[in-house]
Amino acid sequence: MNKLGITEQELASRRAYFQLTDGDLTRLAALRPFAERHNDAIVDAFYQELILKHAESRLFFTDQATLQRAVAAQKRYFLELFSGVADLSYMENRLRVGTTHQRIGVAPKWYLGAYAHYLRLISDRLLAEQGPSAETQEKLRSLQKIIFFDMAIAIETYIAAGLDALARHQAAIRELSTPVIQLYERVLLLPLIGTIDTARAMQVMENVLMRVVERQAKVIILDIAGVPVVDTRVANHLLQTTEAVRLLGASTVLTGISPQVAQTMVQLGVDLSKMHTRASLEEGLELALGLTGRSIRVKEA
Amino acid sequence: MAARVLSTQEMKIASEDDVVLVRRAVRALAERRGFDSFASAALTTAVTELGRNIWVHARSGMAIIEELEDGLRPGVRVEFKDLGPGIPDIDWAMAGGNSTASSLGLGLSGTKRLVDDFQLQSEVGRGTSVRITKWKRF
Repeated sequence: MNKLGITEQELASRRAYFQLTDGDLTRLAALRPFAERHNDAIVDAFYQELILKHAESRLFFTDQATLQRAVAAQKRYFLELFSGVADLSYMENRLRVGTTHQRIGVAPKWYLGAYAHYLRLISDRLLAEQGPSAETQEKLRSLQKIIFFDMAIAIETYIAAGLDALARHQAAIRELSTPVIQLYERVLLLPLIGTIDTARAMQVMENVLMRVVERQAKVIILDIAGVPVVDTRVANHLLQTTEAVRLLGASTVLTGISPQVAQTMVQLGVDLSKMHTRASLEEGLELALGLTGRSIRVKEA
Repeated sequence: MAARVLSTQEMKIASEDDVVLVRRAVRALAERRGFDSFASAALTTAVTELGRNIWVHARSGMAIIEELEDGLRPGVRVEFKDLGPGIPDIDWAMAGGNSTASSLGLGLSGTKRLVDDFQLQSEVGRGTSVRITKWKRF
């Protein structure tokens, strides 16, 4: 509910947009006895003519018990269109049912098709029973309004489910971070890959600081070859990490700086003089080893 | 400027991920029009900078990406619009070293240096619009 921003204000705005007035709701409540008279026949016909005739939808009803439960639930569901209320709990109820449909794998077309079919069947019966007067037209209009109101909610439950899945994937992607690698005694390496957004930057910094303390590192190499864009915010994260690392008695070497990134950083006016920088990881490693009192020597032949 | 607009693409900015999508779209366009790597990097950095500004300050806005042609020269123009708080003192914001978001404060002044044309309009309580243009170098 909260994800879709369903508040009293949203409900009022929705009702206004679908022109679902109190008058419509009163009319629908008055139609309830009519609905009750025809509901069973309509829903049964809906299942016989539509659901059981299509191989795809038939799959959901492999046994009689399931079918009977679904039919009973659907009858209750459609009767609620004539409850005379369209308040937050009505919306919540619709959302809950929509979510269930989405969860068990009912495609939107079936859910929405059911509404279309129901509207057609009940409109026919209303016209047949009460004749095509102005009053009947008004009742039909009220019915259409609440059905479209319901359908919007149904569609949004599918969208909400999609957004949920998306959020889960995004969280998973965020966790795809590289570990801090110990290259040598007291020399750590963290290759940064991908876009560094605010959440990730904080994660990275905390990880770096923990490892620096844990391994008693003197140098940490941050390689940004895998970072597509270094804007002032990324630069700021790097500077803050460098400063925190410095407080722990270690120094930072920034490597993997492409010529393009070097130029944009200069144009942006970023001052990286507080950290060592090298173009390649190779040079950064040489520097890091030097800072810890070591050097690489070529073996004598 | 008598530049023709060859195509327009509007993209919403309502999350940091949206900024990445805008950046990718601009990069793809720059690459398609043959921008060199330095110009492309400058443009995408500017786009990331301004897109993130919208996210940080206004939480919601739009990027309008236009493919331009001035004679034979291709260009890319992006307008970043939001209905956010606006910038009270534009000179202060553009001065460099001043920040309202605990950042470096180089975003706007730096971005101006990354592009060929930079237009900023802002009204407190109404919103901000920043329009950048970058031309292909030969």
